[in-house]
Amino acid sequence: MSSSMEPKQPLSEYQENLEILLQLPLFAGLPIEPLKVLAYLCKRETFKPGEMVFHEHEVDANAYYIIEGQGVLLSQTDGEVGYTEYGEREFIGSMSLFCDVKRLFTLKATTKMVCLTLSREKFQKVLERFPDISIKMVEAILTGIHAWEERLLREHGHACEGCRKRIGVSLV
Amino acid sequence: MITKRPLIYWVKTSSMKLQLFLLIIIAVNIAARVFPLQMQRKIVNEAIGLKKINLLLLYCGLYLAAVLVASGLKFAITAIQTYLGQETLSRIRKELYAHILTLPIGFFRKASSGMVVSSLVTEVVSAGELVGQAIAVPVNNILTLLAFAGYMFYLNPLLAAISIGIYPIVIFVVPKLQKRSNIANKMRVDVTRDLSSKIGETITGIHEVHGNASYRIENGKYGEFVDRLFRIRIVWNLYKQGIKALNNLFQNLGPFTLFIVGGYLAIQGRFDLGALVAFLSAYEKLYDPWKELMDFYQVYQDATTGYGRLMEYFDVTPEHAIEPTDREPYQLEGSIHVQDLSFAVAGGVQLLKQVNLDLKPGEQLALVGFSGSGKSTLAQCISQLYSYTGGSVLIDGKEVSQMTKKDLSHNMGIVAQSPYIFDGTIKENLRYSCEALLDDRDADKQPRLPSLDEMIEVIQQVGLFIDVLRFGLNTVLAGDQQDELAIKIIRMRENFKDRFGEKLADYVEFFDETRYLNFSSVAANLTFGSPNLKEFTPEHLAENEYFLHFLDEAQLKRPLMNLGRELAAQFLDILGDLPPDEVFFKESPISPDELDDYRAVIERIGHSRLHEFSEQDQRLLLRLALRFIPGVHKMATLPEVLRDLILEGRFLFIDKIQKDRPGAFTFYRMSDYIYSQTILDNILFGKTTSDHPNAQDRINQSIIHLLIEEDLLERIVEIGMDFRVGTKGDRLSGGQRQKLAIARVFLKDPPILIMDEATSALDNASQKRIQTLLETKWKGRSTLISVVHRLDTIKGYDKVAVMKAGKILEMGPYQELIDRKGVLYELVHGAKAAA
Repeated sequence: MSSSMEPKQPLSEYQENLEILLQLPLFAGLPIEPLKVLAYLCKRETFKPGEMVFHEHEVDANAYYIIEGQGVLLSQTDGEVGYTEYGEREFIGSMSLFCDVKRLFTLKATTKMVCLTLSREKFQKVLERFPDISIKMVEAILTGIHAWEERLLREHGHACEGCRKRIGVSLV
Repeated sequence: MITKRPLIYWVKTSSMKLQLFLLIIIAVNIAARVFPLQMQRKIVNEAIGLKKINLLLLYCGLYLAAVLVASGLKFAITAIQTYLGQETLSRIRKELYAHILTLPIGFFRKASSGMVVSSLVTEVVSAGELVGQAIAVPVNNILTLLAFAGYMFYLNPLLAAISIGIYPIVIFVVPKLQKRSNIANKMRVDVTRDLSSKIGETITGIHEVHGNASYRIENGKYGEFVDRLFRIRIVWNLYKQGIKALNNLFQNLGPFTLFIVGGYLAIQGRFDLGALVAFLSAYEKLYDPWKELMDFYQVYQDATTGYGRLMEYFDVTPEHAIEPTDREPYQLEGSIHVQDLSFAVAGGVQLLKQVNLDLKPGEQLALVGFSGSGKSTLAQCISQLYSYTGGSVLIDGKEVSQMTKKDLSHNMGIVAQSPYIFDGTIKENLRYSCEALLDDRDADKQPRLPSLDEMIEVIQQVGLFIDVLRFGLNTVLAGDQQDELAIKIIRMRENFKDRFGEKLADYVEFFDETRYLNFSSVAANLTFGSPNLKEFTPEHLAENEYFLHFLDEAQLKRPLMNLGRELAAQFLDILGDLPPDEVFFKESPISPDELDDYRAVIERIGHSRLHEFSEQDQRLLLRLALRFIPGVHKMATLPEVLRDLILEGRFLFIDKIQKDRPGAFTFYRMSDYIYSQTILDNILFGKTTSDHPNAQDRINQSIIHLLIEEDLLERIVEIGMDFRVGTKGDRLSGGQRQKLAIARVFLKDPPILIMDEATSALDNASQKRIQTLLETKWKGRSTLISVVHRLDTIKGYDKVAVMKAGKILEMGPYQELIDRKGVLYELVHGAKAAA
């Protein structure tokens, strides 16, 4: 590529996006052609401290990769109880790429947050051109869910009585 | 029904006057074609034979006149034929399309839209053209044949009999050969289909082929098909060519017998030389009509089989009549009575079993249950989209299956699960349902189309107002005829800056002469104004000598060309092989139709150096660079050095152009309206830097505030109503499409509303707003059947019906069902809570 002729030139946003996607389990197994298109279609969004990235009960058709900053999951119905914290290099919302899901939580930026976002609309366009990638991605998501519950069982399964009764998400 | 009509129907219904006129022309034409033969004979025998110049001139003149008349008439015949054929073609297309639209929904589940498209676009063509030829060609050619043959008999019956005697043999042999050719052709089609699927299979499994290095196996399998195709094609072509050869042979045998017998007779003095010449000419003229008849025979065969297959495919009876013939459409109150309703699909699967329900006019029913429980099916049976197989659905005591489509469309509004929005403006889509009710009756009986105020009211109700306002704000005003609007907007701009400038600084990049604008194009950064002359518009800038000269002076040409090359190369690397799609080009400086140009440029320049590029390529690359917007086009970066150079260039340009071409640009000044920018950009006096909803919300709030003060809100919304939604409405979000679909049904204001998960793509606030609207404005006004996926919205309904496996398990007011602690209670509180 011509950028190699001028080594001093900084990477373009697209090139940075591509490098990020290549590191993510959800995309890592995909061929490079669809990845390039996805990296091109990704968008950066900045959220101020206190701003909501997405809202509880609302349909949100985006997936997010946190490039910079921190956020916390809240439930407003429970009076703004905080749950998990998310920080740099974490990727959330892959299910939204495939179907309409209403968010069960609100994600609030606790610091200035810069996210790489991918909307379902754009993702679906890529899927139309490269239908084969969906199987790989569903596999990655399901493996993620499985690993998540495995970890929950291992780390908390014995401690929390209430949790044990509700276990089984990996059997959906 | 159109599909039952034989091809001959279209001949009969084509313009009989024209067909008759055609026959007359044909008759004259045939006379005009035989006449020169007679002249030939006279020229040889009388003029040349008797050495009479004046006779020669006379006969030659007549000969010439006849030839001219024949050619003219031949053209007239073709013209009329073409007209008849094309006229029939468009009739078949229109009537078939009208028929296809009325076919039951079920038909379209198995018929691909590709099939429908190719049927209407290509497959009907041969049938249509045949109709144009159907009378003219056979009549013309048979009559011509007969005329020439008759003339030959007139000259010499014996010779004529001998030379024409061959034709019956041809008539006997050719169809037999044709039949074999048809068989071979059919086999060719089949094998070609196998071959394509084999290729498809191999390409899909190419990984496996590479992995196993199984090239030999795959080549072998493929080779088998190719060899079969090879043999079949040879046979097929041999038959085809054989028919031609046979035809030719017989044709050429004619003169042979003529010379032998005719020569002998001429030598004997029983046949004059002129007659022999005329005879030969006549015989040769037999060939054309004969060949045309043969061709017609083949076209006829192709067209009839093609037409037959086509009509067979669409030979499905519409389930309901389109409109009543003997009465006005019903005006219904909206009471619904469903009794023992059942619906079974092929294979005997019962999707609905013994469903009963009763609704008084204005009552509202929520259908709930798991997916697959039949709630959508029930709604679709009531709205006649499916034909139920048992029981009855009565509206005001009238059976739904007996009603016409028009009865229903006048009394029912349907919002489908994924509503369809057609290409056109927002306004056209809002009026779609109302406009469908218009018909050919007297103007005073027509339903009224909604007014602008009504449309604005309804888009407010469904929560589409802000979106339409946004479309309006994103419009670029044309020319300066909107002066009074422009003045108001400039006034708003000052207010905006004073009151919201600081607060929104994060979301807006204001036009600032001293700073590089990351959300404006390189061209806008250089000229810092909007062009008033065509030669300075962005499309023409890269060809504008004055501007190119300026770029050189500012030392910008080469770095910009380099930027252009970088942009094109990166873009092609990312998207080069993909079919163009609007989404892919939204954030690109290249438009879909330029893709091929830039692909060619990149291939041409390869690794060559900037100075080696052709002038044409240089300009193409410059054009691209001038469009580059760093904040939007992310496949390349703007090097800092270049950025500073451009900023310096801006001052040079402004200086220069004001001296050389004053008035060529309107610079970005607080006091001037910028016609090259959208209304929003004009109010902001800058560009938004994010289209995230959070940012948009904040900007909207302040803009609406100002618009109300200036009394411009409705004006801008009106402009927004003309926003084009794109094919399938794909320039709208899913939520916007749903809101638009609800709005168009509300505008229709029907006595019965069917909503099938109509708010599923909406955010909470919009969902609640529409629910409240249904409970206040529509309760008691329209009978509502709503398929509901979210249980927190059903409290306000008069009745709730819980469905499972095609049955209604329980039905009644919400609270009653909850108190009963039955299925609804379980659904609302979760199965485990009930246990």
